This record gives sequence, C-alpha cells and structure tokens, in this order.
Amino acid sequence: MAVSDTTTAPIRRHRPSNARSILGLTGPAYLWLVITILLPLAAMFYFSFLSDVPLPGRDWQVTLSNYTAFFQQDFYRTLMLRSLRLGFEVALWCFVIGFPCAYVLAKTIKGRWREALFLMVIIPFWSNALIRVFSWTMVLRGNGILERFLDWLIPGFGSLNLMFTYEAVVIGLVHSYLPYMILTCYISLSTIDDDLIDAARSMGASRLTVLRRIILPLSMPGIVAGAVLIFVPVIGSFMEPRILGGREGTFLGTVIEDQFTSVFNWPLGAALSFILLACVMVIFAVFQPILRRAS
Amino acid sequence: MKARPVNLLGRVYLGLVLVFLYVPILVMAAMSFNSSQFYMLPIDWSFDWYVKLAHNDRLLEAARNSILVALVTTVIASVLGTAASIAFFRYDFRFKKVLQAALFPPIAIPWLITGTAMLLFFFWSGIGRGLHAMILGHVALALPYVIIVVSARIKGFDPDLEAAARSLGASPWQVIRHVTLPYLAPGFIAGALFAFAVSFDQFVISYFLSVPGVSTLPVEIYTAIKKGFTPEINAISTIVIVFSITLLVIVSRFYRFGGDR
Amino acid sequence: MASVTVSHVSKSFGDFQALSDVSIEFADGGFYALLGPSGSGKTTLLRQIAGFSFPDSGEIRIGGEAVESVPVEKRNIGMMFQNYALFPNMSVFDNVAFGLMVRDTPRSEIKARVGEALELVRLSGYDERKPHQLSGGQRQRVALARAIVFRPQVLLLDEPLSALDKALRLGMQVELKRIQREVGITTIFVTHDQEEALTLSDKVGVLKDGKLLQEGTPRELYERPRTAFAATFLGDANLFNGIADDGELALADGTRLRTLEPLARSGRMTCAVRPEKIAIVEDSAQLSSDSNVLEAELEQTIFAGNSLSYLLRHGDTSLRVFAQNRAAADLQPGQRVRLAWCSADTIPVEA
Repeated sequence: MAVSDTTTAPIRRHRPSNARSILGLTGPAYLWLVITILLPLAAMFYFSFLSDVPLPGRDWQVTLSNYTAFFQQDFYRTLMLRSLRLGFEVALWCFVIGFPCAYVLAKTIKGRWREALFLMVIIPFWSNALIRVFSWTMVLRGNGILERFLDWLIPGFGSLNLMFTYEAVVIGLVHSYLPYMILTCYISLSTIDDDLIDAARSMGASRLTVLRRIILPLSMPGIVAGAVLIFVPVIGSFMEPRILGGREGTFLGTVIEDQFTSVFNWPLGAALSFILLACVMVIFAVFQPILRRAS
Repeated sequence: MKARPVNLLGRVYLGLVLVFLYVPILVMAAMSFNSSQFYMLPIDWSFDWYVKLAHNDRLLEAARNSILVALVTTVIASVLGTAASIAFFRYDFRFKKVLQAALFPPIAIPWLITGTAMLLFFFWSGIGRGLHAMILGHVALALPYVIIVVSARIKGFDPDLEAAARSLGASPWQVIRHVTLPYLAPGFIAGALFAFAVSFDQFVISYFLSVPGVSTLPVEIYTAIKKGFTPEINAISTIVIVFSITLLVIVSRFYRFGGDR
Repeated sequence: MASVTVSHVSKSFGDFQALSDVSIEFADGGFYALLGPSGSGKTTLLRQIAGFSFPDSGEIRIGGEAVESVPVEKRNIGMMFQNYALFPNMSVFDNVAFGLMVRDTPRSEIKARVGEALELVRLSGYDERKPHQLSGGQRQRVALARAIVFRPQVLLLDEPLSALDKALRLGMQVELKRIQREVGITTIFVTHDQEEALTLSDKVGVLKDGKLLQEGTPRELYERPRTAFAATFLGDANLFNGIADDGELALADGTRLRTLEPLARSGRMTCAVRPEKIAIVEDSAQLSSDSNVLEAELEQTIFAGNSLSYLLRHGDTSLRVFAQNRAAADLQPGQRVRLAWCSADTIPVEA
C-alpha cells in the first residue's frame, strides 16, 4: 500500500547486482568465522572418532571408544553430574542474589544514580575474569582477609578452611557471573510498566502477590536468559576450579583441559568436548523460545 | 523526601552486593602496595612490587604481546565487522537471518571448547600456535561484539539524512564525509574499544594457543598463579584491572549498556 | 525561481503502479499542494521532482530544462522532510550552512546568509543549539531555513507539518505562507491534510491511486468537486444517490432535488451537498423558489462550542448538517425536521 510513499523500499529491495556488494561486505567476516570456529569444530568432531592424533608416523584408526569410555566409566559420569550440579548451583545463587539487586536498581532508584550504579555493577563483569578469580584467593585462603575479618568480629572464631574447596569454586564463579544475571533481570524488569504494579495494588493485591503473580512471571525471560548464559560457561569452566578448588576442583572442564595440555589424549579430549557441547546445545534448544523473547 | 524503609533496605542490600563484587579486587589492589610477602596486616605501604615488576622481563614481554595482539585484533575486527554491519543494514537477502544467527556460537559456546578446537585444528592444519593464531582466535570472538554494537548504531540512522544532504547539493562523497561517517563514528569507536577489551582480557583462547616463551599477560599470570603466589602478580593484576575498567568506562560513554533508559 | 512541468509521468514499483500518466504545471512562484491519502503517489511524485528516483516514462522540466539526467545534488532544489532530517551531529548554524558549505560559499557570506535565514524563520540566537535541544516547531523552522538559504529554484515540502500538534500546526501554517510570500519561491507541498492544502496553497491537485483527479484553486475544488472522492476528501459532504429524471435528481422516496444546472445525462447519479450549506427550517418558513427541501429524522446533536453538528437520517442516507451556535434550535433526537438548501449548492459528482 504505502510502498510508494517510503524512501527506503526501492533501495532496500533485493536486486541481483547487490549480490556482489553483499558478498564483498560480509564475505571476509564470515570467511574468518569459518576458519576459526566452524572448521576447528568440524576437525574436533572428526578427531573424537580417532584412536590417536592423525599425524604421520602415528598409528590411528576410526573408533567409537572415546565415546564408549564416557558412557561406561563411572568416573566420567560422576564428573558430568558434578559439573552440571556446579552449573545449577551457581545459576541458582546468582538468581537469589542478583534478582533483588536488579529489582532495586530498576524499580526504586531513578535517574543518574541508577545509571551510575548500573555501570558499577557490570564493570567488573567486563574486566579480566582470571584476575578476579585470583583476587579471591587472598580473601579465602587460610588466615586470609575473610578469616581475619571474622576473627576481628568474633574473637576466637577459628578457621573456615574455605580455600581449595567446592564452596570456594562456587563463590568465585558466582562472583564472576553475578553481573550477568543482574543485567538480564534488569532489562526484563525495566520493561515492566510501573502502572501494572500500581494497578495490581489498587485491586487489593499484597506486595507478595504482586511479586509472585506479576513481577516474577513478566521478568521470567530475563531470569531464564541469565540462568542459561551462566550455566553454559560454568559447566565448561576450568580455570576457576583450578585456582580456587585445588585438588577438590576436578570437573569436566579441567579433565578436558588435561587431555589437551598434559595427558595429550586429544581424541578423548575432543569427544569429551563434544559431549559438553551437546549438553550446551540441548540447553539452548530447550530454552530457545524464552531466550528469543528475552532478546 | 524520606525514603521508605523498604527502599532503604533495598539500598543497603545493593550496597552489600557491590561490596561482594568489589572487595576481592580492592583487597588485591591494596596488597600490591604491601611490602610484606605474606600479606601481613597492617599494610606496610610501598611500591616494592611495582619496582620489581619493572624488572620482570617475562611479564613485560607478555604485556607487550597482549597489547600487540589486542591492537591487531581491534583493527581487523572493526573493519570486517563494520563492513558486515553495513551489508546487514543496507540489503535484504535470503541468508541474512542465517548469517546473523551465526554470530551467536562464538559468544555462546564455552571458550574451553572453541579454544581446544582451535588448538587442535591450527596444530593439525599447519597454521600452528603463537601470536598469529591468537589473533585469528581473538578476532573471531570480537567480531560478533563489533557487529552487534555497530549495527545498533546504524539501525538508528535515518536514510532521509542522506537524502536531505543530497537535496542540499552534497555530492555522494560529501554525504559520506559530512553526514554518514560522523553519525556512525560513536558506534565505530565503541565497537573498536569492545574488540580491544575482548582481546586484551581474553585468557582461555590465548592459553591454548600460546607456546612456551610466546604468551600474553593473562596466560603469564595464570602460569605464575599455578606456580605459587608472588605479590608481583598483585601489582600487574592491579594495573590490568585499572586499565580494563578505564577502557570500559570510556566504552560506556559511546554505547549505552542495557538498552536506552 | 522556476516553474516545474511534469508531463505524462508514470512510475511503478514491481506490481504497484505508483503514478500513472500524471501531468501537472507548477507555476513560477506559486504554492501548489499535492493532496491525497497515503499510497496515492503524491510523495512518489515529489521524490521524482527532487530526483531521488526517476520516472519510468514521461518527462520532468525545472525552469524549462529537462532534468532526466541531472542528479539530486545538481537540481538546486530545497526540500523539507517529514521528520525534518536535521543532522543530529551539527548545530543549528551548521545545519543551515550545509547547503552553502557544499557549494564552496565564502565563510563570511555563509555567516551573513545563515543569519538572514534564521532571522526569516525567527530563530536568531539559536545558532549553537543542537537539534535535540529544540522543540518540534523550532526544528521545523530550522529545516525550512536550511532548505531555502541557498536560494533554490524550487521548494519541496513533504508533509512538513504532520509531526506537529494542532496548535503549533496552525501557527506554522501562517509562518510558512508568510515566508513563501516573502521569498517568492515556487513551492510544492505534499499533504494528506485537506485543511492544510486549502489554507496554504493557491492551487491544489488531488491525487488518488497514482492519478491526478482534479486540480484548481482551493475555492474551485471545494465548491465544485468533480468526484465523490474529492468532495469527501476535501471537507465534508452529504452524498445523495438517485436517478436523473427530467434534469432533476429523483431520490428513492420520490423527493426531487434540483441541481446547479439541469442534469444533462440520465440514469444513476450522485450529488454532493456541503453540510454548512443546509439549514434546518421551521415548517412555516418561506423558502425561495430554487430551494431543495427534504424531511429527515434527527439522530444526534454534537455540540462543539462555536458550532453544532446535527446527524440526521433520510431513508438509507445519513446526513450531516453544520450550524453556527447563534440561533440554533434546541432539537430532540427522534424529532423530524425540515432541511432546505439552495439548488445551486447541489453539485453532481462522479461516484
């Protein structure tokens, strides 16, 4: 109908002569992604079915043994469950801590303060993850900052022995990924019209009912997006468990790293990576509709 | 106006979360100025570790590598990403949705997987490891960010601005110079800063693609942490984190996080 | 200054025929309004004159010169866009100066002429503001100053007032008319607002579905619409459908209406009567011999302060009558009333 009245319609329509411009503009970027993402993943998939690295002078054949090892040995299954549990717990803690924080930011603070505080919350997220994890070692270690603080608060508190434990890994990871949850929840919450809350209150709903029936359901896309975006990298983490978990920090991620950097069983590492990737893809597929709504 | 108790509680809570987020970093920064090796309190203020750092050739070399890789990554990712963004804005084509969706994997797949896959493929295909391999990998991670940031800026561009400039007598080149480029500049700068930050802070990919003697700062710091704590790491880490935060505060001037408010 | 001649221009986008065989003469120094609903082709025509797209067939001349091979930037036209398209990164001064700058005008002359232009639109002193610091009305003035500062041959306005609220719009209409008179520039003005077209221009062309239906002075168009579309799009009109019989229009209930001139054709016909031409008269009122008289039932009265609208029904036809709030009778819904109007106000139109 209004085709004639818009400037852009005739320009934006696809004409064959545009094909070359499109190729010229997008080609280099996507060629790069093919070489650095697609081909490596394809190569890794291929490696995961080999018995050894396919190099001259090596004896290798096609096999399923890397995958059967995962399904037959309890060790790997326990490891997988441990990693999944870690991802779940970290995402849960991030929600418990982050959602109220996002709510306070989005609904009770206004203007320049909100902008400044919001920036303060997300800045650490964009700074070096390795260094942030490392900084926890100084807080958590025996006779570290945390223990001395508690000792000063309650004399004779004694030792927590937090360093090199599962809990230390959870603390470090929650610290690393908390801003993610705050960010996604904040975006969801700030799209909720304040009038909705006032309307519900005017109809006699209590604060708790408003939270349960209005705010939580409407911010669900943000919560799920945050949880997924935390869960996925956490189940593939290896540096955080190594630094904060010590010997307690054995997860799927650290075992995969071992295969590539110390054991040099690349085919097994490739297979484990692909099993991890499969988990990631299942999660994305399941939550795809909600993630799409969130973006 | 007095804040209601619920609001006050919320603010206190927000403050506690900020303490949780910042305390470890501040502790580390404070310790980098403590001359005691064993983090004894009270802090004995000194620049000892920074002086020592100035003579640590390994860390300095790694820092130079980090900056070099980040600069090259920034240039390549900005140019390729901006070109793709322009194509997405200007044309409608059948595979556009597919191409846009293809930006997702580099961000979404855990770096452990992309990193090990790159290691395996680069080693096997003869590309090898080292700084050039890191640049290959970092550009792939930075590209999606550049395209997203630049596209967000381009999307707000009113084609009538170009039409208006032409109706006022500007030649196509004058239109680009005086209207299109000045408009896109903030998006372009934000995209470039993003690319630099992504590369400069990248650890996992660099870790798998480094070879002994050729590594970046985060990789060198990780190696040092694994070997045992030395307060020099506090010093270099403090420098890195101050640098990153400054960079991101600058980015935030050009790009509004969390959509428009 | 220059006249613009559009002859036999056609343009289609794919299957969509945006313009078909349109010919219009835009007089030198005139203020011409292109009026039509969205999709009527009015903006397409404007963009062809500007040079943003080219006709499939036909010819456009500006100042007697065919412009087919002249690109936009060489046509020396000033254009105002619907959303003003002010450059957000430039100050008011730089926006207005843009057309002079790209023409390599000396710095001192730019300064003088931008000053003049801003004075003309009454924005002196706003030089250093950025567009986002201006109100809608001020932006509009900047856009106008920018479009005329380099003394273009033709000024093209693409719905320039549609983004303003009503009060501002009325003020800007007066301003626009004053400035156009002062500058004396040939102006072509696209709008879908009939009131704007009538008040601003000295000639109006009505477009529909890519065709020029009718053109003339605002008065001609209003008083003598040739089609039912033109009658209803330009102002309000009551349409009477009937059969031409013996030079008069016979309605379904047998009422006979006399028209401006006796109907020449026979068969089904439509006549239009403007609501303000109809009066509600007392049963006993003495009517002149050339009056048309009709009985109708009042359904609703709409009070609008200085005037009233009566919504009435005559058989299947809904009617509307305007009355000034002077001696308007107090009528009740459901009441039957007698309507009368002059036969000269009964205009036969194409359905």
